[in-house]
Amino acid sequence: MTDQLDLALDLMRRMPPSKIEDNLAGLIDLVPNLTEELLSMVDQPLKVAHDSSAKRDYLLCDYNRDGDSYRSPWSNKYDPPISGGAQPSAKLRDLEVKANDAFDVYRDLYFEGGVSSVYCWDLENGFASVILIKKSQDTTKKNQPMKGTWDSIHVVEVTPDPKNGQGQYKLTSTVMLFIETQTPETGRITLAGSLTRQDAKNLKINKDWNHVANIGKMVEDMEFRLRQTLETIYFGKTKDIVNNLRTTVGMQQLNHQNALQAQIKQSVGQK
Amino acid sequence: MGDVSNEDIVEIVTGFLLNSPPGEFIEVVTDVRGLLPNDSLLNSSAPATFRAYNTDQYLEVQAPGASHKVLITSEGEINNNEYLDPRGNQVIQFDHIRQEVTGSRPASGNEIDHDVEQFRSAFDNAAQAYVSEHYQAGAVTVYGKKEGGSVVITVCLSSYRFNPSNYWNGRWRSQWTCKFSSGGGNINLSGQIRVNVHYYEDGNVQLTTDTSKSLTATGTSQAAASATAAINAIKKSEQDFHAKLESSYNTLSDTTFKALRRVLPVMKTKIDWPKIQVYKVGGDLGKQ
Repeated sequence: MTDQLDLALDLMRRMPPSKIEDNLAGLIDLVPNLTEELLSMVDQPLKVAHDSSAKRDYLLCDYNRDGDSYRSPWSNKYDPPISGGAQPSAKLRDLEVKANDAFDVYRDLYFEGGVSSVYCWDLENGFASVILIKKSQDTTKKNQPMKGTWDSIHVVEVTPDPKNGQGQYKLTSTVMLFIETQTPETGRITLAGSLTRQDAKNLKINKDWNHVANIGKMVEDMEFRLRQTLETIYFGKTKDIVNNLRTTVGMQQLNHQNALQAQIKQSVGQK
Repeated sequence: MGDVSNEDIVEIVTGFLLNSPPGEFIEVVTDVRGLLPNDSLLNSSAPATFRAYNTDQYLEVQAPGASHKVLITSEGEINNNEYLDPRGNQVIQFDHIRQEVTGSRPASGNEIDHDVEQFRSAFDNAAQAYVSEHYQAGAVTVYGKKEGGSVVITVCLSSYRFNPSNYWNGRWRSQWTCKFSSGGGNINLSGQIRVNVHYYEDGNVQLTTDTSKSLTATGTSQAAASATAAINAIKKSEQDFHAKLESSYNTLSDTTFKALRRVLPVMKTKIDWPKIQVYKVGGDLGKQ
């Protein structure tokens, strides 16, 4: 009998991505015993909260949640306040601060806006981090309104190998992309969804290439690849499928064009 | 958190089933049945849910004893298990749970409106020609009836391609209701076009469009001329839709997608991570 979690994840891969929160809520009502696994494994669009003490925005996910409170990466405090909420160890918090600063710069360079947050937690051997980025864009060009949202969720597990001065890094990355526009001819067009990829590397740890730098480079390379794939799938593949369903050029004309091309090929081939 | 009632569970699961992407209904049924606390919870609602899905999707079947395809639609529904095949002058018996044709019978007297059959048939021929030109994977079913003093011809069109081994499926559906007087004059067309595409290799990406249209064409008392005028109007509208969808893809890619995340930072190279703080604008060096 197939694992119920596998069935739930398969279901989420088929349901409309523009309604993820509702679908996930329904799924949790259906199989409440899988709540913890579903909340941590099903990616949802990131919510933004405001840290009033640090006067900065931060992103919410399961990894900075304790009960109904969320921890800000800037002030390291929970909102609403709770006592004894989960925290990274002092040394890891140090790394978390550096990672947030570094990814703040990364976010600015690539996204020129948006919000980023990094959360770390200790593991038995090593630590794990989640790097979150959210960027939204609303434009109107020649009377055509367009809006889009990009959500990055990168989870990296780091296992240090002190004997070899290395670390083993395992990265799982999801980018959720939502794009929508409206025209009189087409009505509303919605392109929504996500892609997930993984990577694993053994990297040296030294004065320059520390955990933040290693993780940073891995995330940057991964987002580079994911951005390309997203572009190909969203704006290439789905468009090709539509053109498979209906051709703008009629069959008669297509057949005529194909016959002409075959004729040309044949005469060129005969030279 | 309160207990979820059986009614709530059926509602949630029905929602999942009706939201199945084209070609993936059976997979969603399998998922849902494995997640239900009790398989029999769906027994009473399943027939209606399966029927709602099949008729909404314009499921395509081979007309029994004929070479054409017929769509299973609510427009052509005689009862829960019988669907009109106007071109074949017959009624198809359909099992919604197994999604299969189980039999057929000739259409009886009032199931086909013979007063409008001339128009229905002319529209059917014109629609067929349009579909074979622009929808290689398509099928069309045309219904006719009288409403008040008007002739009402409904054109249902579906074009699908399923490619689960490459993790994608897609379906185009359009429905056009053409209302006019048999003596000629304006043909009022109201249409709905829906496109759904699902790509799911290591992810879940879906394209959805759903739009309503309102057009007029000029008919005559001659069925063939009216049919040509109406189908040409439909063709133009769908062509405009398709062309604008194409160009929107380019606009979205060039505008919104680019504005969300750059390919590379302004300096046109990837980041030198050990030196990342150097890139910080107005940071340690103080604000300008």
